[in-house]
Amino acid sequence: MSTITNAGAPTRADGTISLTELREQQPRFQGFVGGHRACVGCGQALAARLVTEAAGPDVAVANATGCLEVFSTAWPDSAWRVPWLHSLFENAGAIASGMEAAYKARGVSAKVLAFAGDGGTFDIGFQSLSGMIERNHNVLYVCYDNEAYMNTGIQRSSSTPHAAATTTSPAGRERLGKRHMKKDILQIVAAHHMPYAATASVAYPSDLRKKVRRAMEIEGTTFLLVHSPCPLGWRHDGAKSVEVARLAVTTGLVPIIELERGSLTGSMPIREPRPVVDYLRAQGRFEHLFVDTPAAREELEHIQALANYNMERYQLRGSGHDARDTAGADTVRRGGVRWA
Amino acid sequence: MKQYPRGGIAEPGASLDYHTGSWRLQRPVHVHQAAPCHHACPAGEDAQAYLALVEQGRMQAAWESLVTANPLPAITGRVCPHPCESACNRGQYDEAVSIHGIERFLGDEAIRQGWAYPVAPPPADAPVVAVVGAGPAGLSCAWHLLRAGLRVDVFEAESEPGGICATAIPGYRLPPDTVALECGRLMALDGIEFRPGQRLGRDIQLHELRQQYAAVFLGVGAQQARPWSIDGVTPGDLHDGLALLQEWKRVGQIPVPERVAVVGGGNTAVDLCRVFKRAGAKRVMLVTHSGMPGPGVPDPMRALPRELAQAQEEGVEVLTHRGVRRLVLRGEKAVGIETVHMKKLPDAEGRLRRVAFEGTESLLHVDMIVPATGQDVDGRGFEELLKGSAALAIAADGAIGTPGVYAGGDVTGNAGTVTAAVGQGRRAAAAIVRSLQREAGIDWTDAAPVAFAALNTEYYEPMRRHHGAVLPPAEREGELEVEQGFDPAAAQAEAGRCLSCGNCMACDNCYTLCPDTAVLKTRDLAEDGSHYVFDYEYCKGCGLCANECPTGYIQMVVEP
Ligand SMILES: Cc1cc2nc3c(=O)[nH]c(=O)nc-3n(C[C@H](O)[C@H](O)[C@H](O)COP(=O)(O)OP(=O)(O)OC[C@H]3O[C@@H](n4cnc5c(N)ncnc54)[C@H](O)[C@@H]3O)c2cc1C
Ligand SMILES: Cc1ncc(C[n+]2csc(CCOP(=O)(O)OP(=O)(O)O)c2C)c(N)n1
Ligand code: SF4
Ligand code: SF4
Ligand code: SF4
Ligand code: SF4
Repeated sequence: MSTITNAGAPTRADGTISLTELREQQPRFQGFVGGHRACVGCGQALAARLVTEAAGPDVAVANATGCLEVFSTAWPDSAWRVPWLHSLFENAGAIASGMEAAYKARGVSAKVLAFAGDGGTFDIGFQSLSGMIERNHNVLYVCYDNEAYMNTGIQRSSSTPHAAATTTSPAGRERLGKRHMKKDILQIVAAHHMPYAATASVAYPSDLRKKVRRAMEIEGTTFLLVHSPCPLGWRHDGAKSVEVARLAVTTGLVPIIELERGSLTGSMPIREPRPVVDYLRAQGRFEHLFVDTPAAREELEHIQALANYNMERYQLRGSGHDARDTAGADTVRRGGVRWA
Repeated sequence: MKQYPRGGIAEPGASLDYHTGSWRLQRPVHVHQAAPCHHACPAGEDAQAYLALVEQGRMQAAWESLVTANPLPAITGRVCPHPCESACNRGQYDEAVSIHGIERFLGDEAIRQGWAYPVAPPPADAPVVAVVGAGPAGLSCAWHLLRAGLRVDVFEAESEPGGICATAIPGYRLPPDTVALECGRLMALDGIEFRPGQRLGRDIQLHELRQQYAAVFLGVGAQQARPWSIDGVTPGDLHDGLALLQEWKRVGQIPVPERVAVVGGGNTAVDLCRVFKRAGAKRVMLVTHSGMPGPGVPDPMRALPRELAQAQEEGVEVLTHRGVRRLVLRGEKAVGIETVHMKKLPDAEGRLRRVAFEGTESLLHVDMIVPATGQDVDGRGFEELLKGSAALAIAADGAIGTPGVYAGGDVTGNAGTVTAAVGQGRRAAAAIVRSLQREAGIDWTDAAPVAFAALNTEYYEPMRRHHGAVLPPAEREGELEVEQGFDPAAAQAEAGRCLSCGNCMACDNCYTLCPDTAVLKTRDLAEDGSHYVFDYEYCKGCGLCANECPTGYIQMVVEP
């Protein structure tokens, strides 16, 4: 057993404290703890802990079927320290709506969070999500976007980016991965004229926390799309999850933006845009693009054009030094001081 | 056995009962590695350690940390060529940290505020060591012996401590007060006995010292003029460079020629040129075999680039790749020199040798020519140790092969800088302490430093290096100090630029980003010196924390 001295409240006679007790004395609220069965280096597990830390203890969670639900609650264990309810794959929005209505009826003040993967949000859960937004339930809906149906074995979803290989959009002679484009869910959701819809990334925890807190304050439906790498499905080393997520942002492929009532109100400028190949090369799901054929070269150009389009559309190109741009937003300081 | 209710109900956080640590193939560990600045400092200073304290505004603690390696920061902060900054990882990011600026700031603050050197008086019966020469090497050796609990008697031929720093380096870049105060404070420490006016070979003898003391350290420097002539010819009024500098410092004036040529490419030569300018010489020319320091120059002058640049600003003409062919004498007096362009070129065997280029001979009219081509060891008093050689050869720990006698600094022929002398004094002190069967407590790192590539620079921000004010050339009169130091705010901000290579900066990254909440934060310090502990019950060994650690402090090792 390792010994830790000088910790806040020593519990042993010799002034040391056990790790179990130390865990209960952490300076940040932990709504989502270890022991869960996520893959090594899972971006979604990281996203879950970051969101619950920022949301605080006064929440209840509705969680759609998918990796997060499965790996966090292998019976009889639960990694959640807040009330948590498993919905079905398709109805996190509906269940969250009901939870909120029940709380309201009982006069309980707690925010309801809905958690779902991209399959459960972009595809099968979309209608219940749309209904929830239309009725403006006081729910923060968080979509962990790992860009495929990972829990059932990496099937493509409408969130899977163009040209990524999945088991149902394999790369081969006829096709270089997924043929279609990634669905622009944020704009679709924001078109409900909702108060707040934003994207975030596990690579920018301060930005993510700020957005969670912002959404928590708003009475009504809010939506957060968190880009969360999946080492298994994207085929990269688990150690690189944050690095890959960062490249998704700095290449312009994943714009970090905020929409209020459908209008753009915030964006994270990219200080030094990186070429998309830096992002693509880091992942096995794009490896078929790195063969020297005309088709592969064209796809690389295509993906670069998609990134350029994003940068133009949201004016992501930074103009000089900005503390909230892609290079400034993750700056760390001695003593752990971050901007959020 | 634990009873579970039927149905899908679980207790909050019950997953902690399941220990995912058993999945692990590799584990993260905290490894404190030497930073490149630490590795490169000839005195063995761990700049990273004291910069971290300065960044937190803990100035006195920072100085105390600094002097555990180098007791003369106000001096070295001014005159050291700071190889630490050449090695600084931040140099590969934007600009190196101004380590010397902060070192100087701490040294000056310690003097200004009278901070006590962190050392306890030695016991009355502690062994006594004799240190001969109170230059940087001797002062450093004495300090480190005292830190190890020994008593020290310091014998010095001059009346004041400081060696070359006190007697020759001009005040415009090393104020005499700074030297007197810093060295004086050291010599006044309880346990050190300063004996001025005691010259080895004249007032004291080596065999007596060896009999009376537990060990002897020789730090007598190399201050004897080197014989100089051109084809056997020397002017009758020949002055030696070092002697002129010493005179300038002692008396405040020197003979001032209209036009003077100084021969040499080291600090002495450049200092002398600048002193001649200040004393009123019209034309001052530096004649050197070597080239201007710069990237890709194979034979740069030994003088510091910033010193040279300032000399040129002050009007010193630097004639590089030039040799003196002939002295033009009128009677005994020099009236000119004939110079020739020359360069080091490889011969047929690839060996470098100097080639003079015919047809480039030119005549310079000068009233004085001063050689400043280096100094030799004055071996009087320890001839039996030199055994005919020019310098005292030492082993890495300062031993010279004669039992109980150690040496360091310029007397060894391979120091050449104040900081190297400090480092050699420190190493010799460690060897002396060990030879007396005591715990040296002087750790030295020779391990490879943490490479720039091991850092994750995504988490840093570019920031311009801070500079102290520099007197404009027109205002550089007499001994006015040319370079000004940092104020506390600038020192603190500059220390904040340190990337904390190889040591935890408590940035919280690992704590924030572990998907398995396997990094826990202790309120104060964990047993390994970092503020964080790994909870191996849950760590799956993904390596994400190591990848995102800005400082390279986390390494993945194969699971034992
Ligand atoms: C003009 C000049 C400028 C320089 N500029 C720089 C610079 O900018 N940066 C840098 O890092 N280095 C510089 N140097 C080099 C640096 O000064 C020396 O490397 C350093 O001082 C060596 O320290 P030391 O303790 O070995 O010897 P010294 O500093 O020479 O000290 C030796 C001491 O021993 C005493 N002593 C000598 N003989 C005896 C005896 N027989 N008995 C008792 N005491 C004796 C002397 O009086 C002296 O106090 C410069 C040197 C010169 C000459
Ligand atoms: C109606 C229904 N269809 C299919 C499934 C099987 N299923 C469980 S999880 C899942 C995929 C989840 O994908 P996503 O929402 O993207 O979350 P991820 O696992 O990637 O986190 C599927 C198809 C189901 N549980 N319910
Ligand atoms: S003594 Fe020189 S090398 Fe060492 S830290 Fe100071 S300036 Fe750098
Ligand atoms: S950044 Fe800091 S720790 Fe790293 S080499 Fe430079 S001064 Fe040393
Ligand atoms: S990030 Fe967490 S799980 Fe991964 S190696 Fe580090 S401590 Fe272990
Ligand atoms: S990530 Fe930051 S807090 Fe963690 S070990 Fe590295 S420097 Fe220290």
